[in-house]
Amino acid sequence: MEKVTAMPVDPTPVARPKNAEPWKQVSLSGVVTIVLASVVPAAVGLLAMVLGVRFEHALLLIFLPTQLVLGVIAGRKISGKRGQADAILQVLVVFFAATVLVLLISVVWSVIERGSKAISWQFITQNNVYISGQTSLEYGGLGHAIIGTVLIVALTTIVTVPLGIATAVYLTETRGGTRSTVRTLIQALSGLPSVVAGLFIYAMFIASGLTQYVGWAGSLALIPLMLPTVTRVAEESLLLVPQELRNGALALGSSAWRAFSLVTMPAAKSGLITAILLGIARIVGETAPLLITTFAANNTNLNPFNGSIATLPTYLYTYIASNFDTAVQRAWGAALVILILVAILFIAARVMTRQKTAKKVGK
Amino acid sequence: MTQLVAEDINVWFGERHVLKDVNLLFPEREVTALIGPSGCGKSTFIRTLNRMHELIPSAGLGGRVLLDGTDIYDAGVDPVEVRLRVGMVFQKPNPFPTMSIKENVLSGLKLANRKNDDPNGLVETSLRRASMWNEVKDRLNDPALSLSGGQQQRLCIARSLAMDPEVLLMDEPCSALDPGSTRRIEETILELKDEMTIVIVTHNMQQAQRVSSRTAFFLAEDGNPGQVVEFGETEQVFNQPVDLRTNDYVNGHFG
Repeated sequence: MEKVTAMPVDPTPVARPKNAEPWKQVSLSGVVTIVLASVVPAAVGLLAMVLGVRFEHALLLIFLPTQLVLGVIAGRKISGKRGQADAILQVLVVFFAATVLVLLISVVWSVIERGSKAISWQFITQNNVYISGQTSLEYGGLGHAIIGTVLIVALTTIVTVPLGIATAVYLTETRGGTRSTVRTLIQALSGLPSVVAGLFIYAMFIASGLTQYVGWAGSLALIPLMLPTVTRVAEESLLLVPQELRNGALALGSSAWRAFSLVTMPAAKSGLITAILLGIARIVGETAPLLITTFAANNTNLNPFNGSIATLPTYLYTYIASNFDTAVQRAWGAALVILILVAILFIAARVMTRQKTAKKVGK
Repeated sequence: MTQLVAEDINVWFGERHVLKDVNLLFPEREVTALIGPSGCGKSTFIRTLNRMHELIPSAGLGGRVLLDGTDIYDAGVDPVEVRLRVGMVFQKPNPFPTMSIKENVLSGLKLANRKNDDPNGLVETSLRRASMWNEVKDRLNDPALSLSGGQQQRLCIARSLAMDPEVLLMDEPCSALDPGSTRRIEETILELKDEMTIVIVTHNMQQAQRVSSRTAFFLAEDGNPGQVVEFGETEQVFNQPVDLRTNDYVNGHFG
C-alpha cells in the first residue's frame, strides 16, 4: 500500500477485439440447449406431417406446444426462473411474428407476381383512351393515372405540409391557450373515415352544383386525411428537441421565430421530412374520397382545376371488379405501381433519417 | 469480506478505445477516490464495476472485475445479482418522482421483489445511515420531489443502503449540490466506510482528500484512451506524487 505506481502513457491504440462483449457470451451447454430446443420441435412437427397430420394441426397442436415446453426447459437451464418466463414470451413472439411475416410476404408477393405480368413501358406511359376491359394488354396503360396521382398528391401536399407543420409548431413552441383542444381535434381527425371526408367535399362542391368532378376537389378531400399524420409526426420530432437548445438560442437574444427557424427546426429537420413523407404515403392509396370528387378519366389531364382526373387507386378500382382477365391484370399492375410508389417514399424516409443519426455520432 | 478488483479493464465505445489497461484493487471497507479531468473515463470505469456499462448500446469491455474472487462478467453471473451487491449513486439525484420518501427508500426491495419483515425499521435505519432521518421523519409520506436537491441525493443514498450493498459506487454525488449538502454527504461517507467498500468519482480535490484513503488519478491525453496514471494512498498522491502530471493536476495546473 505504501508503493505508488506510475505508468507511462502508451500511445498505441488497441483495436476493439471481437469478444469485447462478455455479457453476450453463452456457454457451450447453453448453445447446445438452444439448438436442440429449436431443431427438435420442427423435426417433430415435420414427422407428424409425414405421418399424415394436417398442416394446421401439426403447426398449432404439435410444433407450438413442443417448442414451448423445450423452450422453457432450455431457458430454465440457462438462466433459471427468469429464463423460463423469457423463453415462453420469446417462443410466442417469434411464432406469431413469423405468422404475420408470412402473411405480409404473401400479400406483397401476389401483387408482385400478378402485377409484373401487366407492367411494361407502354403500360406505364400510355393512357386509357379507347381501352376497355377486353383490350389486349399490349395497348393502353395507366400513365395518365400516374400523372393524376402525382398532381393531386402534390396539390394536397402543398397545402397540408405548411398547415400541418404550423399546427405542430403551435402545439410545441407556443403557449397558446387552445393547444389541448387542437391536439384533441387533430387526434379525432386521424380517426375520420376517408369516405366521409370525400362525401363532405362532394356534398359541398359537387352535389350543390358549384362544380363538376374536378381534381382540386379530390385534393381538398385528402387534406383532412393527411393533416393529422403530418402534424403528429412533426409534433413528436419537435418535442424531441431538448428545451436547453431553445433556451440557449433565446438567451443569446434571439427572437422566438429566429430561434425556431435557425435552431429548433434544423435540429428536427429529419423528423419533419419523415412527417411529410409519411403523410404522402398515407394518402397516395386513397380511393373512396377520390372516386366521388375527381372521379375517373381515360384521357391524360394535366390540369387539376378543370375536369376529372384519373388516379392510380381509381384506375385499379375500375378494372378489378371486371370479369375479363386482362382487365384484372391491369388492376394488379396498378396495385404494383402504387406499392412501388409507397416503397420509394418509405425508403426515402429511411435514408433521410439515417443521415441525421450518422451526423449525431460524428459530432 | 468483499474485495473488489479490476483487472486489465479496457473499454470501447464502438471502435473508439476510451479506457486502457486499468488495474485497480479496492480494499474492503475503505474509500477509494477516482479523480481526473473531464472525459478521462472515470465515470465509464465506475460503471463497469456493477455492469451498468453494458447498458450502453455500443459498449465493449475487456478484462475482469473480481468481486470476492468471482468475475462479475462470467457467463453464469446474473447482472441483477451483481447490482444488488454493488449499489450505485448517480451524479444527478434521481428519486422516483411518483413515490413518497418512504416508498423511495423501500423501492429497491419492491423492484427486486424481496420481502422485509420490518419495513418501517428499515426506512428508519437507512435514513439514519444517510443522516437525514431527523429532517424527514415527520414527512415520510410526502412526495420525494418535495425535498431539496441535497436531501434528494441523500435519499438516493438511503435507497441504495436499504438494499445493504457490499460495495457502494458514487459517481460525482456532490457535483450538483451546495457546500452544506456536500458536507453532509461527506459525513455520511465517513460513517459508512466502516461497513462497506466505497468508490467515489469526484472533481473536487479537497473532497477526495477529506473522504478517501486511496486515490487513483485517471488521465486521457490528446485523444488517447484514458489510463490510470497514479494510484496509491491519498496522502501520497496529493502531497508527494510520483508522476509529474499528477503533481500538475492536484496542484491545479491543468484539467
